[in-house]
Amino acid sequence: METKRSPKNIFVQGPISPESIAKSIANHSSKTDIGGHSIFLGQVRADEKESGKVTAIEYTAYEEMALEKAFEIREAIFVKYPLSCMHIYHSLGEVKVGEICLFVFTSSKHRKAAIDACEELVERIKKEVPVWGKELIDNDGSVWKENL
Amino acid sequence: MTLTSIHIIAFGMIAEKIKTKELVLEYMPDTEVLLGYLYQQYPDLQHTKFSLAINKKMAVGKTAIPVGAEVALLPPFSGG
Repeated sequence: METKRSPKNIFVQGPISPESIAKSIANHSSKTDIGGHSIFLGQVRADEKESGKVTAIEYTAYEEMALEKAFEIREAIFVKYPLSCMHIYHSLGEVKVGEICLFVFTSSKHRKAAIDACEELVERIKKEVPVWGKELIDNDGSVWKENL
Repeated sequence: MTLTSIHIIAFGMIAEKIKTKELVLEYMPDTEVLLGYLYQQYPDLQHTKFSLAINKKMAVGKTAIPVGAEVALLPPFSGG
């Protein structure tokens, strides 16, 4: 197990591929103290806006602050829950509707810690990490998203 | 940029409204003075929701700006 953790890059250029998610799951097969994984996948939705239909979201971030913030959240969640593993990936750049833009993956000995930690991570990422999504519309316009 | 200036970086909708991602301003002592200047220079910002981060930490309310600081103008987050 890691003893000292340092900020990791969470950003992926473009969509997060289902293959990389499968590979990430497979990478845990050697960690036999794990009894449960919890995974959240954010997918770009084809919302209907007044001006048209969303075709993609273009993500930008204040990357240095986002990585610091993600690290701070990660450390707090590790203290709060007995987790074996935690992975966070977020897209930057364009992600088309139906593609994956956020991948949060927690693992623990028993299911509850993984499930609760995963949910709290997703909520905190959406609220506290400086990332912005601009919804691209099929008429060439765009709308800035805002997390509620 | 010198040590007696403030480096401003803007993101998302704010960068679009002020038509730049970066500004270098004369030193200002706190966020209240800075916001007063920004509202005067960019009246559009008066009707726009945004937060400030000083050296990558969120600044809530009137906050002192250290010399040579990087101040970010952050519209509401919408990651995920």
